[in-house]
Amino acid sequence: MSEETFDVIIVGAGIAGCTAAYLLAQQGLQVVLIERGPYPGSKNLSGGVLYGRVLHEIIPNFWEEAPVERIITNQVISFLAAEGAFNIDFKNEAFCKPPYNAFTVLRAKFDRWLAEKAEAAGAMLVPGIKVDAVLRDSAGQVTGVAAGGEEMRARVVIAADGATSFLAQEAGLRERIPTAHVATGVKQVIALPRETIEERFHLTGNEGAAYTVVGYATRGVPGGGFLYTNRESLSVGLVMRLDDLVRTQSKPAEILEDFLAHPTIAPLVKGGRLLEYGAHLVPEGGLAMMPRLYTGGMLLVGDAAGLGVNNGFAIRGMDLAIGSAIAAAGAVAEAKERGDFSAQSLSGYQRRLDQSFVMADMRTYARAPHFMHNPRLFHAYPALLVDFMTRMYDQQGLPKQHLTPTLRQTLQDHHISLFDLLKDFLEGARAL
Amino acid sequence: MAEQREIWVFSEKPALLAELIAGAKTLGGRRVAAWVVGARSSAAQALTQGADRAAWLGDTGGERLVEDYVPTLAQQVQAGAPAVLLIGSTRRGRAVAGRLAARLDNTVLTDVLEFQSEGGDLLIRHMIFGGGAVRVEKALAQPVIATVGSGVFAPLPPAAAAQGEMVEVPFVEPEWRARLIERKPRPPAAVNLAAARKVICAGRGLARQEDLAMINELARALGAEVACTRPLAEGLNWLPRERYIGISGATIKPDLYFGVGVSGQAQHIIGMNRSKVVVALNKDSSAPIFQQADYGVVGDLYAILPALVQAIKARP
Amino acid sequence: MNIIVCVKFTPDAGDIQVNSDGSISLERAEWGIGSFDLQAVEAGARLAEATGGKVMALSAGPRQINHSKLKKDLLSRGPDELYLVVDDALQDAGTAATARVLAGAIGKLGPFDLVLCGEGSADLYFQQVGLQLGEMLGLPTLNAIRKIETAADGLRVERDLDDEIEVLAVPMPAVLAVTTDVHEPRLPTMKEILKAGKKPVTEWTLADLGLSGGLAKHSAVVSIRAPHQVQRKNIRIEGSPEEAAQALVGYLNKEGLI
Repeated sequence: MSEETFDVIIVGAGIAGCTAAYLLAQQGLQVVLIERGPYPGSKNLSGGVLYGRVLHEIIPNFWEEAPVERIITNQVISFLAAEGAFNIDFKNEAFCKPPYNAFTVLRAKFDRWLAEKAEAAGAMLVPGIKVDAVLRDSAGQVTGVAAGGEEMRARVVIAADGATSFLAQEAGLRERIPTAHVATGVKQVIALPRETIEERFHLTGNEGAAYTVVGYATRGVPGGGFLYTNRESLSVGLVMRLDDLVRTQSKPAEILEDFLAHPTIAPLVKGGRLLEYGAHLVPEGGLAMMPRLYTGGMLLVGDAAGLGVNNGFAIRGMDLAIGSAIAAAGAVAEAKERGDFSAQSLSGYQRRLDQSFVMADMRTYARAPHFMHNPRLFHAYPALLVDFMTRMYDQQGLPKQHLTPTLRQTLQDHHISLFDLLKDFLEGARAL
Repeated sequence: MAEQREIWVFSEKPALLAELIAGAKTLGGRRVAAWVVGARSSAAQALTQGADRAAWLGDTGGERLVEDYVPTLAQQVQAGAPAVLLIGSTRRGRAVAGRLAARLDNTVLTDVLEFQSEGGDLLIRHMIFGGGAVRVEKALAQPVIATVGSGVFAPLPPAAAAQGEMVEVPFVEPEWRARLIERKPRPPAAVNLAAARKVICAGRGLARQEDLAMINELARALGAEVACTRPLAEGLNWLPRERYIGISGATIKPDLYFGVGVSGQAQHIIGMNRSKVVVALNKDSSAPIFQQADYGVVGDLYAILPALVQAIKARP
Repeated sequence: MNIIVCVKFTPDAGDIQVNSDGSISLERAEWGIGSFDLQAVEAGARLAEATGGKVMALSAGPRQINHSKLKKDLLSRGPDELYLVVDDALQDAGTAATARVLAGAIGKLGPFDLVLCGEGSADLYFQQVGLQLGEMLGLPTLNAIRKIETAADGLRVERDLDDEIEVLAVPMPAVLAVTTDVHEPRLPTMKEILKAGKKPVTEWTLADLGLSGGLAKHSAVVSIRAPHQVQRKNIRIEGSPEEAAQALVGYLNKEGLI
């Protein structure tokens, strides 16, 4: 029985999948976009901040039609100790003007919009289907996918199936991902009235704030916290490495509750109503965890390709996903021109990726995962900073000292050597 | 005159009819007329249960369906203009009510839990959203047609002598008939959950049908009856339908309800949340049932049930 | 056999939000095909396949039903054509009004042998529309149908009643409200989902059905609130299985239950 062979099957209607579907459909290719959830976004979770420039390149002024929440204008890095916090608060009016820098998004809404764009461009969305196998011919070339015993064929399969990409393993592009390369993100969406959010975070109109939190947030389990403002809610959560969670036998949900109860966090979420709770896996290994990205008849994009950056200032995944989708779409369109979907032909994907900001940034931040795992970052430095500042401000009626002796004394009291401090500082400067 | 308009009640089930008669008598002091399908004696019985008059529609004779009386009833309602028509909420009752209402350009207020008079208006209360919400509505139609389930009203103690007239109502041949080929009796319910004082309820936390053995053992140790949530009865068919508790199943009010591996969906909760003491065992600490429980155990039922049975048996 | 299947798209009652004042919101709820309608669709699809006919799916509701996700989902489960009556006036329409609208729409469809409905809607479950609709159409109308077979003189059905099962011969055309036992709904395949996007969809307004004068209202909603909750003790029992068991036995003893 002759069955239709499509040009492209994309597995996973997340950010990378929908973007690739949109671009390829626009170019007239027959694209099937398969999603295991009942609708795109239903199974996805991000903190989430979208760094939007790359999307603006392919969908100019997307913020005018896309369901974005707020425009991030205020950035805060917070070092949390048990009873205090040392915050670096940064605001730049430049971020309030188009093309803007970053937006908060809610994936259930955002992915849906992006999928609708792809459908409007001609991509065929197939929701509610879980792909469970990859089809290959005798030469090993990927020729399609199977779901529930049903087969569907295409010239190329784009695996956009997320951090634990089943397809990547099936196609032999990677082995099982070590738990050190994956983190669990847990998140609550907490409803608060617009006016409260704007007042509490000093925002006007559609401005937004993004907090990155290090230290006490995760009770010594390596990881970090985040708090982002949406239009009428807050996205707040933690990201912790899976191997650390297993080793310490920690329960993420409980650590999150503690975080929300912290004296500097609690006032931010006060009076809010829990709307959603969710957990999701996040690629955390950086460059080291990236698998081979393509083989005959298949490419990996987005989280499935291990694309993710956490440099302490920003947690990025969505913009990298879009960047990889653009590269993938370009490579697939070229391959279609040539009528050749072999590994050799698809190597254009790797080339495009290498030439883009995607691989450039993955390489730049290759050392970040290791640095971010430095125990002093979670235990010592936040407490150190808070203590240092406390000593600077504290007026006990005793003689005060200058900065340097105070710092030296604080370091000593926290058992941190100047050597470690400098070493970490240098390493951080190189890694972040 | 409006005050002379009656309340009519109908159910093909005599026990339910008795409840409706009693309920009708609480609705504003009107005369109650009972409409009876079945033996003539049932009509006479209605007069001892509080009806002011009885209208006997006849016996189905094993040939007619209860629903075949819809045209008869429609004609009578149009002629007699009752204020309210209460119909027992059974599958047959709902069919009669719906078709009757459509004939009369009316509608049915279904599964009413409570009637209230406010000013000159009649308000009704019933559940929607699978038990997730209570809706109060003001009836605007004439007559008010409502279905009422068993257990909402309690029947009156039967009077020694029947007072009130009985009339025979001529049958109006319906426009169409479904021909009865066969009646297949259902096996009588093996369990009367409503009467059980203690109930252990199995939920989807059980991985295999064989695990029901653990539930049975606990039930024996506690002297309890075994029930389940809807998926175990209607999807998996591990237990007969009479054993499932929920908005479309059984509603119970025991002294003890013990849910094992039950998550606590609203549709299930509505069937058991009037239990005196609620105990829940589930491995998911965020399962909604814990909010409805007096005592909650978060843990693995496969480890805890055997330990529990042992602890119960070990008591002196 | 040409079969019309009536379907209600509803917000998922599981997504209900209870506000602090006890009022209810379904604003964040995801809409889908009513869970009791899926079996009716499947029964219609099977009958059409067995007898070589077509299935016309029909739904009436407010603007939220006019969403590609819902339309595609329904069309991927067997129907050949979809007819939608879309009007926000249907948001809070009662069962009689809804039945009137469906009857009006059916009047515009081609010849049919059978109309199938679920026993009740997923959100309200009043179990009325199918029955009222059949009576308005003047057709043989039955509920609680758990099995449908074709026979020489029409249909042979089994009716699932509380105390017995009636086996009946029903002339066609007929209107049947079916129970969840009538057929396990299929899991749509990729191909059926793809084909769904190409099947014809017709949209009508109430005016198209000659009902722009408004829908009859037989009742007015006074309030919708969360049900009163019995205040529970919410005592958590922790520890090893043995400890938990002992603790629980202690509590059951105190409550006089063992």
